[in-house]
This record gives sequence, structure tokens and C-alpha cells, in this order.
Amino acid sequence: MKHLLKLTFLALLLLPAGLMAQKKIVAPDEIVLNVGEKKKLDIYVQENGKKSKEDVRAFSRARRSVYVDSTQTIEAFKPGEFEVLVIGGGSVADYPEGNRKSIKVRVNYPPISEIKIEGIPNTIYAGTPVALKYKVIDKAGLERADVQVTFSSANSSVASVSGFGVINTFKEGKVNITAKAENIENTISLNVVKNPITRIELSADGDQGRTGDVFHFNAKALDAKGNVIADAPIQYSFYGVSDDVSQSASGLIKQDGRFVADEAGTYTITAAAGVASASKTLRIVPRDVTRKIEMVGQGSVNDKHTSDLWIWEGVDGRDYAVTGTWGADGKAYFWDVTNPANIFKIDSVQVDARTVNDVKISEDGTICVISREGASNRKNGLVIIDVKDPRNVEIISTFDENLTGGVHNVFIYKNHIYALSAGQKYYIINIEDPKKPYAVSKFELDTPGHAIHDVWVEDGIAYSSNWSDGIQLVDVGNGIAGGSPKNPVQFASYAYPNGANHAAFPYRSKTGKFYVIGGDEIFPYGLNTAKGGVNMAGGYLHIIDFTDLENPEEIARVEIPYAGSHNYWIEDDILYVAFYNAGVRVFDLSGELMGDLRKQGREIAWFIPNDGNGYTPNAPFTWGAQLHKGHIFFSDWNSGLWSAKLEPEKPKETKIQSK
Amino acid sequence: MKKLFTLFGLAIALSVQAQSYYVYVTAESEDEVSVVKFDGKKAETIKTIPVGVWPAEIEGPHGITVGPNGEYWYLSLAHGNPYGMLYKFKTGTDELVGTVQLGLFPASMQVSPVTGLLYCVNFNLHGDMVPSTVSVVDVESMTELDQITTGAMPHGSRLSRDGMKHYSVAMMSGELFEIDALDLVVTKKFDLDEASKMLDMDHSKMDHSAMGHNMADKGQKEKAMDHSKMDHSAMGHGAMKHSAFKPTWVSPHPSKDLVYVAGNGADEVLEIDTKTWKATRKFKTDKGPYNIDLSPDGKYMVVSYKSAAKTGIWNLETGEELARLNNSQKVTHGVAVSPDSRYAFVSVEGIADDPGMVDVIDLQTLKVVDTAYLGKQAGGIAFWKVED
Repeated sequence: MKHLLKLTFLALLLLPAGLMAQKKIVAPDEIVLNVGEKKKLDIYVQENGKKSKEDVRAFSRARRSVYVDSTQTIEAFKPGEFEVLVIGGGSVADYPEGNRKSIKVRVNYPPISEIKIEGIPNTIYAGTPVALKYKVIDKAGLERADVQVTFSSANSSVASVSGFGVINTFKEGKVNITAKAENIENTISLNVVKNPITRIELSADGDQGRTGDVFHFNAKALDAKGNVIADAPIQYSFYGVSDDVSQSASGLIKQDGRFVADEAGTYTITAAAGVASASKTLRIVPRDVTRKIEMVGQGSVNDKHTSDLWIWEGVDGRDYAVTGTWGADGKAYFWDVTNPANIFKIDSVQVDARTVNDVKISEDGTICVISREGASNRKNGLVIIDVKDPRNVEIISTFDENLTGGVHNVFIYKNHIYALSAGQKYYIINIEDPKKPYAVSKFELDTPGHAIHDVWVEDGIAYSSNWSDGIQLVDVGNGIAGGSPKNPVQFASYAYPNGANHAAFPYRSKTGKFYVIGGDEIFPYGLNTAKGGVNMAGGYLHIIDFTDLENPEEIARVEIPYAGSHNYWIEDDILYVAFYNAGVRVFDLSGELMGDLRKQGREIAWFIPNDGNGYTPNAPFTWGAQLHKGHIFFSDWNSGLWSAKLEPEKPKETKIQSK
Repeated sequence: MKKLFTLFGLAIALSVQAQSYYVYVTAESEDEVSVVKFDGKKAETIKTIPVGVWPAEIEGPHGITVGPNGEYWYLSLAHGNPYGMLYKFKTGTDELVGTVQLGLFPASMQVSPVTGLLYCVNFNLHGDMVPSTVSVVDVESMTELDQITTGAMPHGSRLSRDGMKHYSVAMMSGELFEIDALDLVVTKKFDLDEASKMLDMDHSKMDHSAMGHNMADKGQKEKAMDHSKMDHSAMGHGAMKHSAFKPTWVSPHPSKDLVYVAGNGADEVLEIDTKTWKATRKFKTDKGPYNIDLSPDGKYMVVSYKSAAKTGIWNLETGEELARLNNSQKVTHGVAVSPDSRYAFVSVEGIADDPGMVDVIDLQTLKVVDTAYLGKQAGGIAFWKVED
């Protein structure tokens, strides 16, 4: 009886399993494809040992490299190793081993089809080097950087070639140089001719200067008769000795002859074409631009975060400021800053928002526009405010048409507001009658996944900051490209590789150069999730020379390590820039710009707004800076509005005349 | 013996008293997620998890869901440059496990227990009135497998009880979509404005054959199309209708072939039979019905009335609104009903710097039991666990 009960119990236990469908995904563990190859996947669900009609689908986990369509056909686009996920339909309980299976997909790298070598001169002067420019192309037409290329010379007495494709020539003669990758070769013939260059003449626009001064060297290669060899390959290089024994001499030299030194010391610049060379020595002294800066006043905001600021002279001749608030109650504050040592709040407005990220004032000081994000009805937009009497500001109108996604930044220029919309475009809104604003046009890129962060307008040109699409210059009335507010016309752009462009500010240097300074916004360390933890920003300012609009050149940078740039202002060749974790920094932009401005000692002063009573105490997170009537005003996320003053520039006691 | 009974009774009482409910709630304007615990009497935020990577930008955690096995929770961050992200966290430790980029303003979502895939609508809330998509994500590898085009401003993303059909609504084009969760194609769509009107009319005099709004009748599946080859310029998106019904949510019945759609613009909830693909009942609500959750026992439908700042509790069988409760503040948002069908957890956004709130409603007494406080703009809400 006992046995019978046991058996019955066992049978009861086993019965459901026996009755249950036993399903299994059948799919290969691995498949191998060539680029461009298609293959129908042999996948199905097996039920109780037999092929069933149960649905089964395969999905690529890298659909831009391999794709599986609804007919279960896989197609390979790119070489590499990928995975396809197979999922069986029906109840998961029917699959004792699970209803998912992965197929490893190996897409073979296509064989190499070509090694392209470009830019070989017809003749090479013996003794001068040539760096080969080459690309490896495979049969799928893709450029391949993963392939080892070897180089060889058929006559090493004429020319040798390094493993990196740099050819050194020794004497006259013809020589074949071969590049080889896998079983593909490309052989080029070089014609090494007698080198006519007997000497180099090197001139420069000075022989002494300060760190950060850009020198221009001009080298001419001459033959024995003094004729100029126009196609001589001249290479510029430098070595130097720093005045500081514990510092290395450093600088930047461009192959068009521009040189800038970072450190004080002695630098020798050499121009060479084969064995002929010439050198010049420079004496570089410290830039010596530092000045004292002193904190003048503070308008504390310590119950919420502060965002952007704008300072202006009111119609009554007094000076005022407006500041926004962030992640709070939708307030903007108005301040009297006539006496920068006694900044006090005079009025505020509250709108349906959680962040008033940006604030701007019209040129005549009568209209303020503030941006709204986080509205309770999810319809954001902008608010236009009458600030003729900053002690009694009044909302004139609101505008949210096409702006409901949130306005992150705004600008006012000649009776028009430039307002960002949902981080993708900006609208241009006519406010000739501020009670009845209306959009006249919009500017939006058509690149995939385009985004925008800021717009600034000056001299009829809108400078927008478009993340990975970089800085966009748009004619909105300047006339350079026939644009107007109703018809914005893009005419120049520059994108830098890190894709983090969040601000852009034009700067016309007294040298005649036209720069646009693009700022990053990066938080490379992510969120500090500790309670009250301070976040660390990254990124820097990129100085782009836009003098040749069709060929903008990124030429210099302003970087404070471990701080992260934010908003800035330029006036009289001086840059006032807020670095989130490093306060407000003041830089000398005089003269031509090249290289790393901080290393060159161009930093004039800095002030970090530590505030023990801040929203987060002693956690400077500086947002933006603006110069107004000789005072530097800046806002800080955790402590409100500040003012500071640079001590006047004093004559320098130096005998060395800078360039 | 008496002692034994006393101890037994005490044990039962203790076990009932000790039962605690946990939900994850987003604070959209604080870039935080809170864990709210409710012990039967008191609701409180017991943990706050900062999310995102940009301290000086609001990234907007919007949709949240806990996976079928409870091991992970998933969060959509609406704002990016320009695309939003999906985050995967381990429940309990709340450790970030992985991320993947989705579409524009990813919002509500759910993971199918059958396919193991997550389906997230790309709400594109502030974009142009063009069709958006549902992202399908393999949460094991955190890769986006596909984007399925649906309507303008898709919202509400819920799966049928068998996990094989996905339902979402398009707020601006006024449509309900059914997607085959395995084939990843739209199998049916439904004009909700039309359906709402039809329920008020005399059907006996209508020629339904001419309406052509029932793809299911034709036994068709919209097979995967190559959108790159389409002429989008000819689609006339600019002329796309703006739905008066404004559907914002869809919730499938836990045991029947029915779904319930919130008509935010029409102040009503429609019941739709997913087999016949016809609207069967209409529930007139207070202003702005927004989210819906049904009790797992199928008895109650809980609807957040966003504009009215109230929550409606309906008897699904009789169609009677049992209670219309005031929420603790303005802008009622999401609803999550506990697995034992006892409590509804309702998130309430608030305005400006109001704290976000979660009102806990007892579905037996039909009263708000307590309120938990969290960061600004409490939105997405997902039930995590019940613990003894």
C-alpha cells in the first residue's frame, strides 16, 4: 500500500511534465557570412522532438552591421563578430531550456582590394623626406585601419622607407616603393632628382616676445645661384630651454611657419629642406598679464539654484540685473546693481515653470525675455516682460507656439527673439508689438539626429551651438548671405570632433582675425550621487579662426583642467568665462591666438565663489559671466549673483618689447 | 491549546500587519527616482536614486517599469541630444546595469514575459505632428532591435496578458495600435475619435463595410516595410488630424480580451474588444483621464484624472464609478495597482516647486490612506514588490 501511494504520487508529479509540450529552439550556434551575403536562417521550434509550426523570430543585436528581416533572412553589412537573438513563441513554460537562443555571427573581413597612395610629388629632391599618404580599401569598399601595411624599397641606396611609410631619400635615381597588405601590393615609382637647394633663408617677424605671442617664420629654399626653389619641402621644428629649471620648454609650431611658446625661455626654430637648414632663436619672456581681482558684492540666492544672468543699464540710468532659477519654482529675480558692492533684489516674477534657464534684455533696456521649462501643463515657451521700471516688472505676454518642448536659451536682437525649441531648432519671433509676438521663421539643420543648445546674435549673424553639428553661422540680417529674420541663411560652420558644442560667441580681434569661440558642455564623470555631492564638469573653449569662412581652422583652446567651461563674454580683448567648478576666469585674448592659452600664461585672474551659506555650501558651480561698466558680474548655480573687479592694468617694467 | 490559538492568531495578525508594498516612482523635474514604501498605514519615500548624467540639464525620467521577474527596473529619460535613453537598474541595489539610446522623448514601456523584450513608445511629445515609433529593446544586451512606426505622439505601452500583443495609443492622431510582440509589426489600428462617436450613435443604420477601419477583418498584417524607400514628402503629415479624443493610455484587461483607453480630450474611457476590434463601452470620467491601471483580479479600473486632480475608481463589471477621490495636489499622473488588488498607488506631479506625491488608495474602503512625498513632478510609477 505504501509503495502504491508512492508510485501514485510520483506519477502525479510526472504527469504534468509528460503532458506539457517540450519545446526547444533549434538554431545554429554560429554562422559565418561575407559582407553583402544574405542567408536564410535555419531556425525553428522543436516540439517533443519534432519540428513544430510555432512562431520563431530572429533579431540582430547589431542591426546596422547585420540585419535579419521578417523572412528570417540575415544580411551582413559590416565585418566583425555579432549576435543574433532567436525567440520562440508560445508559453515560456513550454521551453525547459528557455525560449531564447543566441547565434554567434561572424562576418568575414573582406579581402583587401587596394592600397591607395596619394599626393606623391613628381620629383623628390635627394635628401628630403616624403611621408606617404595611404588608405587601405577592402573589397566591400570600406577603408580599413586594422590591416598591417608593410613598406619596402627596391633600391635602398636611393631611398629607404620606414614601417610608417616615411621615405628618406639619399641620392638621385629612380626607385620603386612598395606597400603591401595581405596579398595586395601597390608599387609607386619615385623620381629622386638632384637636390638644388644649397641654403635656406629664414626670416621672422620678431626675435623676442612673450609667451602666447604668435611668430610668423618664412623660409625660402635657394639654389647656388640664389634662385628660389618654390616646391622645396620645408619642415619647421623647434627646440627650446625653459627659464624654469623644473619645466620643459613647450610650444606649438605649424608647418606654415607659425610658432607660439608656452613657457618663458629660449627657443630655436629651424626650417629644413634635406640637409639644408636655417635656424633662428627667440627669447621669450613671461606674458605677465596677471592682475588682482577682488570680490565686490553678492546677491545671495541660497534657497534654489541660479541659472543665467543679464546686466543692463535701465532707462533711468541705473544698473540692473536679472537672474533665472533652475529646477525650482519658475522665478526670475531682478536686482539693482548700480552699486556692485550692494546688490539687492528689487522684484521678481513667477511663471509656470520649474526652470527659467535663460534671461535676456533688449538693447534699449525695456524688454526682458525669459525661457520656461517644466511647465505643469507641459506647454513651455517664453515670457516677455516690461522692465522699463525694474522695480515693478510686468508680464506683457507669453508665447508657446512651437515652443512647448521647452525653451532652453533665448536671445533678443533688433525686435526679434531667437528662441530654441525642444533642443532641435530655433524660432525667430517678431516682438515689434511685444503684446502680440509672432514667429516669422525658424532655423533647423537637416542632419540625422541634429540637436541645438544655444544661439547668440551679433551684427546680423546668429551663432548657434549645435552639439555634434558644431557652430552654425546664419545670416539673419547682416547681408553676407542675403539673409533676414524672415529668411535665415546658413553660410558657414565648423564642427569639432568631441561633438559637445554648447555655446558660441563671436570675437573680432584687433589683429583683423575673426574668431568664434565654441564652448563644450561635458560631464565626463557622470552624476555625483552622494548626498550634496558636487558634480565635476569637463570640456573647454575651442577658438576657431573663421577669417576664411570657407576654411575655418581650430587654432587655440582655453582649458581649466577638471572644471568644465560654461558661458562667457568677450570685451576689449579680454575673455570672461565661467568654468563650472573653477569660478570665473579672465583671459587675455590680445594679439593673434594659437595653442593653449592657459599654458601660455594668458590667464589674467580668477575668482572662485565659495559660499558657506550656498544652496549647496562651498560648492562653486559658476554659470555665466558678463562685464558691465568695469565690473565682472557672474552667476553661480549654488550661490546667486556676484560682482568682482579687476585691478587696473599697470605699465610693465620690462625692457623687452613684445611683438 | 488556548495558548496555541492565541499565538496562531497573533502570528496571522503580525503577518498581515507586516505586509509592505514598494513602488518605484519618477520625479521628472528632479531627475530622481524614489522608492516608496507603504506598510498598510504609512507611505514614505525610503530611498532616492539620482538618475542621468547631466547635473545642469533636466533629463526627465518619465516612464518606469519593473521586469517580469522583478530583478531589474527600467527607466526612460525623455530628453537627450536629441534622443532619449533607456536605463536598466538592478532592483533593490538600484545599481545602474546598462543604457541604450531610443527615439525622441521615450516614455511608457513594459517588458513581455514571453519575448523578454521591452516595448517603449517614443512619445516625441514636443515634436512635429508626424508618426513616431515604438522602440523594441532586448534588455539582456540592452540593444534596440527595431523601431516600429505607429502614430503621432504614441503613449501608454502595455502588453496583453499573454505577453504577445502590444498596445499603445497615439495621442495626436487618435489611434489605438496593436503590435505583434514577436513579429514586431502593427497588426491592427483603430480610430478612437470615430469609435467614441459611434458608441453614441444608432449602429443599426450604419454601413460598417464602407468604413475600412478594421484591418483585422481582412486578416492582414502590416509586414515590415522599408521606410527608407518611401516618399515622406508626399505623406501630408502637416495635414494630420489633431484628435479631439486625445488618447493617452491603454490598459489590457487581466483576463479578458479587452483594453481600456483613456480619452484625455474627451473625458471618457473606452472599452475595446480586441477580438472583434470594436468599442463596447464608454465610461464618462472627470476632466482629463490620463493613466489607467486595472486590478489584477479584474474588478477595478483606476483612472487618474489629470486636469481634475482626482482619481476615479470604477467597478468594471457594472461600469459604475465607485469613487472619485481628490488627490493631494494638482496634476494627477500615473497609477499602479498592487498585485493583491488591494491598493492603488497614484503619482501626483504638482506645479512648480511643489514636491511630487504618491497617494495610496485603499480599493476596499475607497479612501486615500496616506501620501508619500518625493522630488518635483512625480510621474511614471511601477509596482515593485509586496513583502511580508
